[in-house]
Amino acid sequence: MDRQGFMTRLMWIAGLLGIVLAIQEVSAQGEMSVREKVAAAITMPDSDNQIAAVLALKLTPSPEIVEWLGKWKEGLVFIYQDETGATIPVLLGEKKTGTRKVTMRRLDDDSVVKAGDGMSVEVAPLDVEMAETSSKLRKAMKQVTDLAALANPDLALRIRAIEDSAIGQDPEKLPALLMLKKTEQNQKALDALDESIAIINLRSVDTAKRVEAAGLLGRRGSLAAFDLLKTIAAEEKKSGNRKMEEAALLAVKRIEAHISTINATGTMFRGISSGSVLLVVAIGLAITFGLMGIINMAHGEFIAVGAYTTYLVQNIFAKGIDLSPFGKSISIPGMKLSEGGMDMYFIAALPLSFVIAALVGLLLERSVIQFLYRRPLESLLATWGVSLVMQQLFRLIFGPNNVQVSSPTWLSGNWTVNDVVFGWNRLFVIGFAVLIIIATWLVLNKTSLGLLIRSVMQNRNMAACMGVRTERVNMMTFAFGCGLAGLAGAFLSQIGNVGPSLGQNYIVDAFMTVVVGGVGNILGTVISALGIGMADQTLQQYLGNPVIGKILVLGGIILFLQWRPQGLFVTRSRSLD
Amino acid sequence: MTKAPITSKVQMPLLMVMAVFLIVVMPVLNMTGHIQDYTLNLWGKYLCYGIMAVSIDLLWGYTGLLCLGQALFFTLGGYMMGMHMMLMIGKLGAYNSNLPDFMVFLGHSKLPSFWEPFYSFPFALLMVFLVPGLLAFIFGYLAFRSRIKGVYFSILTQALTYGASLLFFRNELMMGGNNGFTDFRSILGADLRTGSTQRILYITTAILLVAVIFGCKWLTNSRFGLIQRAIRDSENRVLFSGYATANFKLFIFVVCAMIAAVAGALFVPQVGIINPSEMTAEKSLEAVVWVALGGRGTLVGPVIGAISVNALKSWATREYPDFWILILGGSFVLVVMFMPKGIVGIPAQIQGFLKRFKRHPGRLSKVVQTETEPAES
Repeated sequence: MDRQGFMTRLMWIAGLLGIVLAIQEVSAQGEMSVREKVAAAITMPDSDNQIAAVLALKLTPSPEIVEWLGKWKEGLVFIYQDETGATIPVLLGEKKTGTRKVTMRRLDDDSVVKAGDGMSVEVAPLDVEMAETSSKLRKAMKQVTDLAALANPDLALRIRAIEDSAIGQDPEKLPALLMLKKTEQNQKALDALDESIAIINLRSVDTAKRVEAAGLLGRRGSLAAFDLLKTIAAEEKKSGNRKMEEAALLAVKRIEAHISTINATGTMFRGISSGSVLLVVAIGLAITFGLMGIINMAHGEFIAVGAYTTYLVQNIFAKGIDLSPFGKSISIPGMKLSEGGMDMYFIAALPLSFVIAALVGLLLERSVIQFLYRRPLESLLATWGVSLVMQQLFRLIFGPNNVQVSSPTWLSGNWTVNDVVFGWNRLFVIGFAVLIIIATWLVLNKTSLGLLIRSVMQNRNMAACMGVRTERVNMMTFAFGCGLAGLAGAFLSQIGNVGPSLGQNYIVDAFMTVVVGGVGNILGTVISALGIGMADQTLQQYLGNPVIGKILVLGGIILFLQWRPQGLFVTRSRSLD
Repeated sequence: MTKAPITSKVQMPLLMVMAVFLIVVMPVLNMTGHIQDYTLNLWGKYLCYGIMAVSIDLLWGYTGLLCLGQALFFTLGGYMMGMHMMLMIGKLGAYNSNLPDFMVFLGHSKLPSFWEPFYSFPFALLMVFLVPGLLAFIFGYLAFRSRIKGVYFSILTQALTYGASLLFFRNELMMGGNNGFTDFRSILGADLRTGSTQRILYITTAILLVAVIFGCKWLTNSRFGLIQRAIRDSENRVLFSGYATANFKLFIFVVCAMIAAVAGALFVPQVGIINPSEMTAEKSLEAVVWVALGGRGTLVGPVIGAISVNALKSWATREYPDFWILILGGSFVLVVMFMPKGIVGIPAQIQGFLKRFKRHPGRLSKVVQTETEPAES
């Protein structure tokens, strides 16, 4: 401990010396770039001067320092002596094929090293000397780079550096952190600073400081300090330091409480978002199965139609696509949009996937389903045949493997509140589900088509007597349900893989959701989707095994139907089927 | 539902011819070398599928319950037999251990206790009936008690199958995970790889198939069968006449599960592998296709459907691998729409067609329309 303290003091003295030297140099040569400063440091005659020059960089902390000092430390900087005998720090260029020599670029201004006659100099890599670093020098560099990282103007990176500085609980880092604390403006960064300082203080020699640090960490619910506090509590139990042990134990207890809140909130959030996925997938089915009573086993394939439409739109916005269905090759040219344009492709894909899935649905209704309205079991079988055909067509057109659909950049990233991570894509899922539900509700309740749909579904014969063209309403309703499936597909393409069997992964869940919700009731579907999603995620959290959780949910659904055979919401009627 | 006269007249002799051909003629031709061992083995597999198809027909065609879990019961039966045969491999496996290979591979050193009794063949045989029967009983009891019927029943059985396949894909279940059981050596001491063992297995399957058909025929022609069909046509009327329809349905459901399980148990030694990919709802639906194609409610039709679809599959997956599924799916749609009575129903369909054509030559198109849309439920 003592020896280390002495060394630290020595370093600080050296640092101060360096600062003085550096000030002299800056005043002598005016403003120098970081590269120039590093280059100057390399050309210093001996190790002590080099250390001083490096420590001088502390005055102007910037992320660039990390980069260039890093290059030096990794041995990527070489020293070249030109004809006049001057030493020039250089970076070596790429080795060209055929020659064993490379060109050099100066470290200070990035220009190519040229001989007196203006020709660029080429050397064999073994002929130039590497810029050496001593262990003392490397230590100085580390100090400087740590500080430089702490001064990163980018808030997220700065906080990351602050958090990283606590790792290892190195008391040598304290001064830098304390210094930063004086100038830091941002509240988040200040919180992180407090936490890091407290973590380092846990290893302080002063017990009062340690107890205070433990108290702070406990109040903050610091996740980073959790394991550390546990070890400290165990250590102090052995050494008999009751005060510190109690403080550590209290902090551990507080952090544990914080962790369980985080887990509960996280599980709830994931439950709502996976429930939203179910909801988006099942809402189309709630129309075709719930309202019309058609068992559309090809519903999953309509989802895939939407997903593949999104894939096509994405490629058309980018550089086009080559397909080879049935041995014929088709080439669709692309618009070659830039990054910003690419982010917009999803906006275009949404309506298109709805329309295309609805059109395919219209085709299916006209060709097959219209003959099977009174035979539900047989519509199940026929649509299963259709689903097989559609899956195989996807395979033949787009290939048997998953295709790549990139999600827009604004979907990656997350939003952290009080240590609970809310992923943007999950938030997007929830928002999308809410929008679809509102849109469906509006269509069913506020448009004339919705009025016709409801009348035909309630009493087909009566509606027909009143002059409603029931066949047409059937057609429109089925197409609407399929269009919703297409939307679901566009949406799933953003959060999962797109492949020929995309729909198969969701079809059982979707049917379950509609059955549990009560057939013919949109609100029931919403509640059952959220309920199943929450149950699924909660079981996963507590069992730690997604498959067993899923099986339990399926079993739970079967038992639930004992209690309410007709689902959550029963459409009451006096008719006996 | 009126019976189609031609079909019923032809059915009995057709059945007898089929029985003699499958049980006697095929094995004899195999012994004389006219039929290859491979072909006979393939037919053994088809007949197992045929037995499963009959069980679906009994459920769907005669009771109106479209069960998408028959593949589950079939596979469960297969797994029970497979467990016995895995233990019979003994030290001949790749690891020269008394344990089945997959257990050694997963790092186990002791046989799980529920495997122990499977050393005995009679116990395994009992389990072939009991395990799927019990599962069907529990599920059926719950489902029929809360009057789940029609498409809801189908969807729930689909979910059951899905859940079970998820479970069997896990290694923790100690049932071989996604590789299942394979590499069998012997059954009842007889080497599985010899032609004579396979022939005996084939004959057993054929006899069982014919027995199942006759048994079902007897059952459906009895008073029980009458109620069964009444439930299919109008369950509420039967219920209001004082019959506990749930019990009837439960009985038939358990019986069908057991029939499918026996088929599975015979399937495994002939095919030599069983894994959870057989246990999916898609496999059940495929089996339903055989029944629909052959003609439901006929008992013979499903067998014809199973054999013809599978023979077609064996050929088409070799010749046109890309288009086989298109053919299967497409033909299914067409059969459901235009041939509601399947292959067996074709003569009756043509007969009725001609009869009406003679009476009203001008109204042909209208006749076709009503023919394809018989009201159900």
